[in-house]
Amino acid sequence: MTTLTRQDLNFGQVIADILCEFLEVAIHLILYVREVYPSGIFQKRKKYNVPVQMSCHPELNQYIQDTLHCVKPLIEKNDAEKVVVVIMDKEHHPVERFVFEISQPPLLSISSETLLSHVEQLLRAFILKISVCDAILNNNPPGCSFTVLVHTRDAATRNMEKVQVIKDFPWIVADEQEVHMQEPRLIPLKTMTSDIVKMQLYVEERAQKT
Amino acid sequence: MEDVVLHHQSGSADGLRSLLERTEKLLETFPCRPPPVFMPWFPSAAAGPRRQIRPAKPAPVITSAESPPEKTQRSEEAVCVSETPKLLLPPPLRHRAEGAISPQKHKDGAFRASPLERSWSAAMPRGVPPQKSLSQLFDRVVSAHRLHLRQRAKWVIREHNCGAAQDIEQVWRTLSRSVRRAGMPTCNANIQRDRAEIWVFCDVLYSEQVGRLLKAELQLTGTIVLSVHRQGNVFSM
Repeated sequence: MTTLTRQDLNFGQVIADILCEFLEVAIHLILYVREVYPSGIFQKRKKYNVPVQMSCHPELNQYIQDTLHCVKPLIEKNDAEKVVVVIMDKEHHPVERFVFEISQPPLLSISSETLLSHVEQLLRAFILKISVCDAILNNNPPGCSFTVLVHTRDAATRNMEKVQVIKDFPWIVADEQEVHMQEPRLIPLKTMTSDIVKMQLYVEERAQKT
Repeated sequence: MEDVVLHHQSGSADGLRSLLERTEKLLETFPCRPPPVFMPWFPSAAAGPRRQIRPAKPAPVITSAESPPEKTQRSEEAVCVSETPKLLLPPPLRHRAEGAISPQKHKDGAFRASPLERSWSAAMPRGVPPQKSLSQLFDRVVSAHRLHLRQRAKWVIREHNCGAAQDIEQVWRTLSRSVRRAGMPTCNANIQRDRAEIWVFCDVLYSEQVGRLLKAELQLTGTIVLSVHRQGNVFSM
């Protein structure tokens, strides 16, 4: 086993690539499973060797891509603690929050478990959990929308230019109303631990959705 | 726990003893491993709202009335891409659209949904009962061009058809309402903002009726043209 720092082999970039690719798949699947968008805009695809649903609507796809394009540098520099997919009701109050907590070790140990195939196996388990999570969540009210919140470390938010890598895609600090959820129910979905990244996913669900 | 009755064939005492032991073992409580306590790694309480950021632009709203655009883009009618803000169009389209109308930036720096390059609406199979009879003149046109009655035809509304009292956007809004409440049989329509045209598609069978409805409901002036794929303009009204 070899130990490397984050700068070696530009591991931060590799991790950011892997995680952003995963988050893209996960966001599409969450939007499908939680019926934020009509099911007609989704198509079945295969990722991590499991069937997933991906939107084929160019506006939505572009929005998700732009969002993740801005999140990527934060993950790369280990400045993102959480990426949260927030589903909001018509009044823009959160009803569900899919929280991806990301933790990257300061020192990276290279072993057989670092292999991409192994990491992809772990990510596949997340996808499978998301695809069945509707069984344990209550139905959302009609007319829901979504946003992506990124919990950053202080240093990252002080320098917002870091996030605003796309000119026409500005980022703002989230309002308390968009963040705070009354009496949330916490539902753990999946935790993974690998040499290069640790991640866990849980859902915070509002007790009274209607 | 309820009583368990063991039925066995009488035999040796050893056999009975081992049978009892085995049964007692089977009835022991199944060992359960308590699951590890789940704890968020970064509790939200510790993080103030100051540290949580989101895109200023809201996610697109897609209603179930819209069909998946990429699926239909290849067909003739698929120029009907749904409400696409120019900011979200791919770069070549975006540049073309920007030539027409620039995106609106608000005081807070956020870009709001800008005017759209193309929009579409489609009729549901209900509403106004369609008339299946053709006028003699249109019947001759159908015969001359050997058109199939279920073939799609396209009415083109240009800016000069809108008259002085209204512009093409107002006509489009009226038309969308009419198409959505199924006032026009077999119709779907889209606005081509870069051409300043509205295209209304319908079956050849109903195109005369649709043409009359368009002229009456939208108060169009001048002549509107009916065109058919490959044949070009075949009729005007």
